[in-house]
Amino acid sequence: MSRIIVITSGKGGVGKTTVTSNLGMAIARLGRRVALVDADFGLRNLDLLLGLENRVVYTAVDVLAGQCRLEQALVKDKRQEGLVLLPAAQSRTKEAVSPDQMKKLVGALTQKYEYVVIDSPAGIEMGFQNAIAAAQEALIVTTPEIAAVRDADRVVGLLEAQGIKRIHLIINRLKPKMVQAQQMMSVQDVQELLAVPLIGVIPDDERVIVASNRGEPLVLAENVSLPAMAMNNIARRLEGEKVPFLDLMAEHDSLINRIRRLFGG
Amino acid sequence: MTSDSAQQIPVPTPPSDPPVDSQLQVRLKTEGERLLLILPPDGESESATNWSDLWQQLKQRLNAGERFWQGQATVHLMAQDRLLDGQKLQAIADALSEVELQLVRVYTTRRQTAVAAATAGYSVEQQPPTFSLNQTPKEPVSLLVEPLYLQITVRSGVEIRHPGTIVVLGDINPGGEVVADGDIFVWGRLRGVTHAGANGNRNCRIMALQMEPTQLRIAEAVARAPQTPPAQFYPEVAYVTPEGIRIARATDFAKTHLLLNS
Repeated sequence: MSRIIVITSGKGGVGKTTVTSNLGMAIARLGRRVALVDADFGLRNLDLLLGLENRVVYTAVDVLAGQCRLEQALVKDKRQEGLVLLPAAQSRTKEAVSPDQMKKLVGALTQKYEYVVIDSPAGIEMGFQNAIAAAQEALIVTTPEIAAVRDADRVVGLLEAQGIKRIHLIINRLKPKMVQAQQMMSVQDVQELLAVPLIGVIPDDERVIVASNRGEPLVLAENVSLPAMAMNNIARRLEGEKVPFLDLMAEHDSLINRIRRLFGG
Repeated sequence: MTSDSAQQIPVPTPPSDPPVDSQLQVRLKTEGERLLLILPPDGESESATNWSDLWQQLKQRLNAGERFWQGQATVHLMAQDRLLDGQKLQAIADALSEVELQLVRVYTTRRQTAVAAATAGYSVEQQPPTFSLNQTPKEPVSLLVEPLYLQITVRSGVEIRHPGTIVVLGDINPGGEVVADGDIFVWGRLRGVTHAGANGNRNCRIMALQMEPTQLRIAEAVARAPQTPPAQFYPEVAYVTPEGIRIARATDFAKTHLLLNS
């Protein structure tokens, strides 16, 4: 039984596509067959982040129009066996596809792939409806900011109404230093508001941007970074492993901070 | 929000919020052995809810009351003047069967809906269109309907309206809104907007285990929470005085207000 997971957030720019590309790569490295679906029609980015842009020939819209077979549109990743991308059309808009067509596409992918991971566009309009139409479970990506968390809350409500009950939370771009100085929402603050089980916390790191620009997901880098570790851990948790959460605060835990916390400062 | 028995919070100008129109949301009502599912009338007005909103409301209401539906209870759908095709009827029946409810009968004033329902095998009662006109109350109903009990997190973007008292077992998140003609009880954190006594009843109250609202409204009075949140929370009651909305500790409120009134 394959798993169909949508990665969504409501707000734009919180790292949905970055998480999708890294997570897809990480799951494939665990030996699974993974299909990534870019549901952001008209504003496709997933192929860029995976460094596969120049190998896209056909897109999902071509498949639906009957201009090619599904296998022809799938772009295989050369670095990682078992990972394929179904690119979105860049020239069309979100209305080019209907939720039913999306279900059909994803249904066809589940024949061959154990994981179908759908990268949702920002917003809650047609594109979002398409992205969640076929999904069985959802990963909500949010940053520890009020606007992002508010939008995530809205999206959780919409997913629940859609009947998607398995929802997990990824908190992206956490800055432990700022949390310690009480300038940023903590993991607990976000969790308390959203009331959705947490599956990973990814610290803010400049290397993520560098990796995105190069089109090489961070989990492939030789030097292991904290964000890459966090991503790999999420993949393992999806597989059902119990992996303890990284202690992101440890690095900044000076004696003074500890004392301050002791007094509830 | 303080240890005083009552505390005033800033009261800006009265709101321009119209009285709650209870007719605009999906309602579930038990009547004897059966459950009535009442859809809001379609109407021609702009405020009429479209299908996708209606669908979300239905799913929310069903999930929020899941514990109370007795296995295989029968449901009568009051579709009013709403146009439902076979697909939509099927969607409603599926949503009901997910919580072990069974759609058996459809009441409608529209011929097409009646045909679709009959085709799908439900027993149908087609009422003459004038019936629905008589049914929509022209005057605001003075009697409150039975309380609405919801086990739910009222998330951002969700708006719940009910022409009676509302009990929420769960949090009301910022961006969520609950509007009642009666009282509002929140067995959880109140962080969104609540409006009690929305048809103008100043005797209504808002109660929450943890009161940190974006805004409180009772009848035509409005209050905001203080800028600095209190260090400690305890259950509180908001009520209207001639000076505006006040808040009292729930434990004190019983002594100072409830006994005096009786």
